[in-house]
Amino acid sequence: MSKNRVSRRQFLNYTLTGVGGFMAAGMLMPMVRFAVDPVLKANAAGDFTATKLNVDKITKEPQRVDFTFEQKDAWYESEVTNTAWVYKNDEGKIVALSPVCKHLGCVVAWNTDKNNPNRFFCPCHFGLYEKDGMNVKGTPPLAPLDEYPYKVKDGILYLGKAKPRKEA
Amino acid sequence: MKWVPADIEMYLQAAEYVDTAIIPLLPIDLEDGMKDSATKTEFATLLSGFLERQFRGRVILMPGIPYQKGMEDNVLPQLEEWNKSLGKVSLRHVFFITSDLAWKQREDKIGGNLLWVPSLPLQQMDERSKTAALEDQAAQLMSLFAQKWEESDTV
Repeated sequence: MSKNRVSRRQFLNYTLTGVGGFMAAGMLMPMVRFAVDPVLKANAAGDFTATKLNVDKITKEPQRVDFTFEQKDAWYESEVTNTAWVYKNDEGKIVALSPVCKHLGCVVAWNTDKNNPNRFFCPCHFGLYEKDGMNVKGTPPLAPLDEYPYKVKDGILYLGKAKPRKEA
Repeated sequence: MKWVPADIEMYLQAAEYVDTAIIPLLPIDLEDGMKDSATKTEFATLLSGFLERQFRGRVILMPGIPYQKGMEDNVLPQLEEWNKSLGKVSLRHVFFITSDLAWKQREDKIGGNLLWVPSLPLQQMDERSKTAALEDQAAQLMSLFAQKWEESDTV
C-alpha cells in the first residue's frame, strides 16, 4: 500500500469536484458557444458564386463570363446574372473585372471600339479603360473598374462581390 | 436609369449626360387576342429592361404606356406630346419599343424613333435560352442606339 492513503473525505472532495465540474461545463459550454456564435459566422462569410468557367480556359485575352445568383429585393426574389471580364495578366494572375462603368453605370465591353483596340469601351459616353481596368485619362470615368475577388476550387472559378479599387 | 427615386436622384446630378428616353408601348386586348397581347407586353417590357441595364448611364426607361387594342389612333397624339415634352428637358432621343405591329403601320406618324421587335415565344423557353434570345435581339437594338448617338454627337 502507498503512504498517502486517500481519506474518505478527500475521495468525496475529488469526486464531487469532478462531477460538479462536468455539470458546470455542460451548462456553460452552450452559453459560451451562443455568445461566440456571431464571430464564428462572420469568419465563414463566403459569398462566392461558381461560374461555369474552367480555370485552364482563362487566357490572356479578356473573356466574358456570366454567372447567376439569387438576389432578394424587398419581397421580390429573382435570379440575377452578373458578368465579369476574366483574363490572366502578364504575371499569370487571374483578374476578374466588373463590366459596370464607373461613370454612370453602363455596361462596358472589351475591344468593341475600332479606334481603341485592346481597351474596355463604354458605349454611353465613350469611356475607356486599359486592360488592367485603369480608367483612361480624358474620358468620363474617374475611377478604375471594380474587381471581383476570386477563388479557385476544383478547377472552377468562383467570384465574390465586386470591390472598388484605388484611384488611378 | 429607371423611373425610381434612387435613379432619378442620379439623373438630377448627371442630367447633361442623359439624352435618351425609352418608352415601351404595351398592348392590352380584352377579346380574342388576350394572350397574344400579354406576350407582346411581356416581351417589350423585358427587352426595354435589358436595354436599360446596358445603357443605364445615358437612358431613362419610362414606365410603359398601356393601351387597348384598336385604340392606337387615340394614343398617337399622346406619343407626340411625350416626344415634345421630353425634348424640352433635353431628352432628345425618344425610343418607343413595342412588339405590336399596329405601330409599325403608323411609324411615320410617331414623332420619335419606333423600334418594332417581333415577340418571341418566351413562355416555352427555359431561363437560359430566354436570356440568350433576349440578348440577341437587344444586341441589334444596341447598335441602333449607338448609331443614333453617334449621328447626334458628331453634328
